Amino acid sequence: MQCKELEEVLEQDGFSPLPLAAREHLASCSACQGLVADLTTIVASARQIPAELDPPDRIWISLQSQLRAEGIIIDQPAVVAEQRAPWWQNISALFRPRVLVSAGVAAALTLAVYFQTHKPTEVPVAATVVAPAPKAEVPAAERANQVTPASAPAPLQQASAATHTSAHDSATSLRPSPSELAGTTLMNVEQDVPSMQLAGNSAVDTSLRQNLRTLNEFIAECQQRLKQNPQDEVAREYLYSAYQQKAELLSAMMESGRSEH
Amino acid sequence: MYRTIDRRVLGLLGPGLLFIAASPLLASPPEHKDSRFIVKNRPVVVLQNIVDGRIEVKSWKNHEILVTSTAASDKVDIDIEQVGDRIDISASAMVASSQPHDIEANFQLTVPEETELQLRTQTGLIYVEQVNGDMKLQSVAGDVHLKEVSGYIIVKTAGGSLVCNMCGGKLEFTSISGSAQVLAPALTSVNLMTTTGNILYDGDFVRTGLYTMNSGRGLVEVRFSGSNSFDLNAHTNLGNVDNQAAAFLKPDTHSSRHSTQKFAHSLFGTVGQGLAKVELSSYSGTIRILKRN
Repeated sequence: MQCKELEEVLEQDGFSPLPLAAREHLASCSACQGLVADLTTIVASARQIPAELDPPDRIWISLQSQLRAEGIIIDQPAVVAEQRAPWWQNISALFRPRVLVSAGVAAALTLAVYFQTHKPTEVPVAATVVAPAPKAEVPAAERANQVTPASAPAPLQQASAATHTSAHDSATSLRPSPSELAGTTLMNVEQDVPSMQLAGNSAVDTSLRQNLRTLNEFIAECQQRLKQNPQDEVAREYLYSAYQQKAELLSAMMESGRSEH
Repeated sequence: MYRTIDRRVLGLLGPGLLFIAASPLLASPPEHKDSRFIVKNRPVVVLQNIVDGRIEVKSWKNHEILVTSTAASDKVDIDIEQVGDRIDISASAMVASSQPHDIEANFQLTVPEETELQLRTQTGLIYVEQVNGDMKLQSVAGDVHLKEVSGYIIVKTAGGSLVCNMCGGKLEFTSISGSAQVLAPALTSVNLMTTTGNILYDGDFVRTGLYTMNSGRGLVEVRFSGSNSFDLNAHTNLGNVDNQAAAFLKPDTHSSRHSTQKFAHSLFGTVGQGLAKVELSSYSGTIRILKRN
């Protein structure tokens, strides 16, 4: 067996018991021994990375349905999903929590923007003549699972006023408010930041952290205002805008930390 | 005995301290490098300065780009590459360091007048003068100064401020705590947004232009001239609208809304025929409207 063939075996089967030919080659080839040692170290190190916080499932459901509705993602046949993943994808899966956190920020950002532009209105249903139609067909089962306000406009189209009102009330009681949703997600992401060495540069780190504090203070101010006056739409707009900025800032901070390490 | 020890310690410490003090000077002198690239059409310069440092861009008549880079130490890796009419420049740290100015790369670019720019740095100043072309300028804490530039200009900072002097085209500024000053502009579209910084717009509003300025907590100040023509909509949630130009603001001719009293939460009015549209907003800051003398 040659070195390239051993690499192919590793790609296909990972560290599962190697075939006899591969083991014989490995015993006599110092280069391949080095490769295997490196891979072993990488896998071991990756497993020691502490698990980070996963955003709630509802964010993924909402994001997925939104992307599907916009035709950005298309459902793949089940066969594709069952294809055997190569071993390097298994290794990369170990890093998934970090990816999820970044995606969580993106999700929060998407939701914040969405809610800013699609604020739930309190107008009577009878007065709602035109409601935004979904851009693509979404299966009924999925619609039922969508508990976030991202799906809220769809039922407005045909339901009678009474039915809609009760359904709307029920959904409203189940789902978190946009503000809570974005705030919780961002707070989860932020928990990683204090221990993170950012750009490895004191001035940049100080600026990033200072701006994060600034945003948090502003968010707290808007939240306080909304508690006192929930109908203050301007405060709500500023709150969502601050969430959007915070998501971008956290994303930049995590990017700085990642590029450093 | 103590005196003897003190003398010995001092005898050893003296040269040691001197060496420590001198070591940064002996370590590595700044590395200075010039690179020239011939370009044909409107070039694009992409500069990613992952470390600290100043970026200065000026123009000349030549179809050539001159990149002068200065790295403060050998801990900075500078990579410059030409791909057709695109010049990619990157500076990154090879080691982590908390020493100020240790990981720093400064760039001076001389580019054709018609050049597109994408510049990014951490804490240093970005300065662009007399360049026409779309540009995206990003910084964490560094300020951005623009003079006589035009195009679609996007500036994004966390804490850095913007000074835009005699700029033309379209301007978008987004920041958390940075301020923006737009002086003597010829901009047809302006969108300035900062959470806690201040905004100053001192200049004319181009007819049919759209101008949006928004600060969460900071001061938004607009100084216009009597020959301008624009509709004004100013609104603050918790702050004040300080109207120091009441004599020049007519009731909004394109709307039934009208309020020109001083220190209110909102103000609608028209100057001239109301050809441009100006929207000023703030959450808890003050909005001030002035007419220039």
